[in-house]
Amino acid sequence: MRTAYCFDLDGTVTTTEILPSIASEAGIAEEIATLTRITMDGLISFTDSMRLRTLILGQIPVPRVHEIIAQIPLDAHLQRFIAERSDDCFIVTGNLDIWIQPLLDRLGCRSFTSNARLNGSRLVLDHILDKGDAVKRIRSELGFERIIAVGDGANDVPMLREADIGMAFGGVHSPTASAVGAADFVVHNGEVLCSLLKAL
Amino acid sequence: MQPVEGAVIAAAGLGSRLGLGLPKAMLEIGNKTILSRLIETIEPVVPRIHVVVGYREELVIEHVARWHRNVVIVRNPDYRTTNTAWSMAMGARGIPGKTIFMDGDLVISPESFSAFVAKAARTDVLVGVTRASSEQAVFVRTHARSAEDFEIDEFSREARSEYEWANVVSGPSNLMDKVSGYVYEQLQPRLPLPAFALELSEVDTAEDLDRTRAFTQRLSG
Repeated sequence: MRTAYCFDLDGTVTTTEILPSIASEAGIAEEIATLTRITMDGLISFTDSMRLRTLILGQIPVPRVHEIIAQIPLDAHLQRFIAERSDDCFIVTGNLDIWIQPLLDRLGCRSFTSNARLNGSRLVLDHILDKGDAVKRIRSELGFERIIAVGDGANDVPMLREADIGMAFGGVHSPTASAVGAADFVVHNGEVLCSLLKAL
Repeated sequence: MQPVEGAVIAAAGLGSRLGLGLPKAMLEIGNKTILSRLIETIEPVVPRIHVVVGYREELVIEHVARWHRNVVIVRNPDYRTTNTAWSMAMGARGIPGKTIFMDGDLVISPESFSAFVAKAARTDVLVGVTRASSEQAVFVRTHARSAEDFEIDEFSREARSEYEWANVVSGPSNLMDKVSGYVYEQLQPRLPLPAFALELSEVDTAEDLDRTRAFTQRLSG
């Protein structure tokens, strides 16, 4: 049986949140933190939140975003797990491809992301990922029979529900109640998570 | 020789005989939860611990997130309509080999638990028993095989005996799969099975709680 492993990016594979790191750079950390919090709690939809975040953070030049993202620390255990089976691992993130490409290159596996492009100096949002759709596509188009998903927030719920096994991961901060409610397992340590993933 | 790779603690149930509105594992004995005491007993000798949660799961998850970050939580949202054996089977998923299955309402002497783990590695299925102390116990009839070893011949609700079923058993990780009924009923067709006498106290009733407090004091004294 071929198993796909789907990982949320921010706060799951990365040990700090990406968008807040970019926001600190622009001196709008608190504004973005508020937006992130109400999004994680499910008070506004992920789509609305992503549009707002793109509008606000889109003012920062993309090369500068890449410099910031190059410094983002990754969970060493998860990074190794992905490197050892990169054909079977997927990053499934609502974050924008144009921002996180350097991070995806570092991880070296396939990904499903939201999409944006530059129109002159303006960032234009083309598509916002529904993580549940990503899992469906991995199953129907890529021939994986079993899917294990790992995430921590409200936007991970469709992915956790659609997967055969869902893991709420609290490596950085506690997973939201909604993510826990959609999961089969709750894990708080990257090393333990990887040992569990290997054994399932 | 097959070392124990994981322990499953069943902490999903209502604990209705005590009726304190808490999962029994979350009861405090001497300022520490039964669950924390159990985890601290298991941790030094078993590499992975899974705790199955259901009733008021948020309390257990928060407790584990705060104090026991290496412990894996397994959710059983159907805890109201499923039994302990079902929770244990769910909890064993992701444990690759030999597994210890136990109830979450036990205080166990660390020395006797370590000895159980050592013997479990040399035994296909090892059943934990303890000196009979409660009225509603599942009693076990045993016979000696040698000076150290004894075996269980029968589980019984009626026939009082020296030992009772301790709600601790080790075996392959699929031991509880496809079970209906109580955990010991799953073991019945396999009898006779090797037994191990554990020093422990189980909390089912308010009386048990007092007895367990005294037991815990003796352990730390």
